[in-house]
Amino acid sequence: MYRRKTHWGTKVAKQEVLGKKPLIILEKIRENLEKLNEKMEVMIELQKHGRKDTQPLPEAPLDVMTLLSMPDHLRKTAMTVCRFGRATAEEIAQQTHRARAVESAYLNQLVIMNYLKKERKGRKAYFYIDRESQG
Amino acid sequence: MILGKIIAVHSYKGGTGKTLLSVNLAATFAKHGKNVCLFDLDFRAPSLSTVLKIEKAEHWLNDYLNGTCEIDKVLIDLSDKIQNKGKLFVALANPATEAIRDMSAKDRKWEMRALGRLLALRNSLLNDKGFYYLVFDTSPGLQYSSINAIVSADLVLVATTLDRSDVDGTKRMIRELYDLFEKKTDIILNKVLHNVISKSEREKVQVETKDIYNAPFLGIIPCYCDVLKAEGNIIFAQEKPEHPFAKILDEIARKVDNNIA
Repeated sequence: MYRRKTHWGTKVAKQEVLGKKPLIILEKIRENLEKLNEKMEVMIELQKHGRKDTQPLPEAPLDVMTLLSMPDHLRKTAMTVCRFGRATAEEIAQQTHRARAVESAYLNQLVIMNYLKKERKGRKAYFYIDRESQG
Repeated sequence: MILGKIIAVHSYKGGTGKTLLSVNLAATFAKHGKNVCLFDLDFRAPSLSTVLKIEKAEHWLNDYLNGTCEIDKVLIDLSDKIQNKGKLFVALANPATEAIRDMSAKDRKWEMRALGRLLALRNSLLNDKGFYYLVFDTSPGLQYSSINAIVSADLVLVATTLDRSDVDGTKRMIRELYDLFEKKTDIILNKVLHNVISKSEREKVQVETKDIYNAPFLGIIPCYCDVLKAEGNIIFAQEKPEHPFAKILDEIARKVDNNIA
């Protein structure tokens, strides 16, 4: 088998290097596509609300009366976040039995509406209700 | 591992017997060997302290929801008063006028945090402490405290009467509250007059009630003079287990066990 000496002096099979690289590249592409998708969802939502700027809406507590007045599809997502406290779109999707991408769109919509907060940790995005810092 | 559940006892109108049902149902569950915690979530008209004859509490449920103490401090063990196979604890609402006024003036952000604290009971009491049931005695109608309780619950027991305005209001609540939150709902028809006590009459009322509410029906409770005469001084499930009221509660508790599992 052909082997080459790497710059740190270890011999690594060329096949191994070639085998991992495309995976890493694909992973990067996926990550970037996800970010792009989220940005597009934000833009679509802003357009729907007729807002040209990206100024956040005023702080909005996610209380039960707000939950009651929400459209059904968003209420389901918001209530699941309420129960979890903090969750990824994947975890919410498992509970609601809807597609992850759908939940991701709804969660981002709730972030734009300022009902939820979003935090990235590595590749994962967590959505949560910031109960303690408000007021 | 058996996971415990939260039951909210609610109604559209006041005076439908929520507290009587909550206390007796909690005592019945404890009699059946389950560890239960009963919560007074009617902060506008607290009554469990009177019903259970507890004059003073170190901490109230108000304090837990205000974030000034943990839930362990609020729970009162009733095991020495009410001896059952299972344990019975209670979390009381503060009946002082000042406390009622304070709870009525809370804003939306406080209510949002209160919801978070009620939801957290699932972890702290059901998962960690191993309670089998948390029974929430709520305030009637659409108020923050009662909707918070409904959102946190796994099952809503709706106490209703044959009163026309109660029937209409309950129908609306099923459609516009419980259904929106996708809550499992069971109806209990309370204070039914004795002329519908015969089996055929009872079945007729049962069918009619099912049709009216289009929701599962758990049972009919006749208006017993003994219950009225007791003036809230007797926990029938505990002190008069042979009374028909206690027997019906026994049956309802078993149905809840089956429905909620």
